[in-house]
Amino acid sequence: MRFSRSAIASAIAALAVGFCAGCAATAQSLGGARPLSAHPLPFKGRLAMGDPDQLPPAVAMSLAANSRIGFMYREELRHEEHHSPTILSAVNPLIYFGYPMGEYTVTAFASLSILDGDQIVGEYTAQSRVTRSYTIYSQPTHRDLDAEAREAVREEIDEKLYADQGRIIAAIAGTE
Amino acid sequence: MNPRTAVLLLVAAAALGCAARGRPFEEVKPVPPGHSVIYVYRPYSFFGSAIAPTVRCGSQSAAIRPGAYHAFVVPAGERISCYVETETADAVDFDGGPQIQYLRERIGLGLIVGRPQLNPIDADQAQSEIQTCCVEQP
Repeated sequence: MRFSRSAIASAIAALAVGFCAGCAATAQSLGGARPLSAHPLPFKGRLAMGDPDQLPPAVAMSLAANSRIGFMYREELRHEEHHSPTILSAVNPLIYFGYPMGEYTVTAFASLSILDGDQIVGEYTAQSRVTRSYTIYSQPTHRDLDAEAREAVREEIDEKLYADQGRIIAAIAGTE
Repeated sequence: MNPRTAVLLLVAAAALGCAARGRPFEEVKPVPPGHSVIYVYRPYSFFGSAIAPTVRCGSQSAAIRPGAYHAFVVPAGERISCYVETETADAVDFDGGPQIQYLRERIGLGLIVGRPQLNPIDADQAQSEIQTCCVEQP
């Protein structure tokens, strides 16, 4: 059996695409957050709800136990998965060149409310979706995906908070 | 008995022999005060049925055979990590959250040995799937 040069080139290109697809990872933050350097907010607050070890950096840096301002922070993760049937994967030659055998998706939701006494002076939400495929050569852990999705929503919350901090300061000053 | 029937019976017996046998699913009720429950279940699949990698959740561990489940009763409000490994590893962290959590163990294709995955599953879906699993017998 003889193959033309173009057929061989096409086969190599297809394998290369399969190989690269096997490494594909996508993270999508619906709010369009960009990396920024975290710094404390110009006001302090106590943690009214949430885990002190699982907070957006700006909030974590702005905690004060006896403040009248309160932070209520909540995160939720949703998991999805897709797997190719194992028996089909076992007989698919592309699998051994790194073609994906399935993928994991984690969607993180976060909400932050800022209270001044009983009054809500700020509310922010963020959503992030991380999808990563796995191959016979690499498999991410759910821990890694969860951490990535959590980090993305925290970054987005921080960005919204920094953009709105002037209004929050004014709102707090207005209630004093 | 003709040879073909005998071979089929042997294959069927071998496949069934790998599945866990025991009492049907029993919910941990009531959950001890100050504790949470992590159910790790493994619906029966012939693929990977020869292995039962050890699943660790906090300080406890259990090797779960296909068709079985294990309830890890862990302290509430603490960060608990569940971990399983053969030629690759998977890990899931729980930070407090709901009192009852579900993980579905699946054995995927590996180069030398099947690869375990621990997939967090929503309660609604998990509660119907776990009914097909039985208590792991030592």
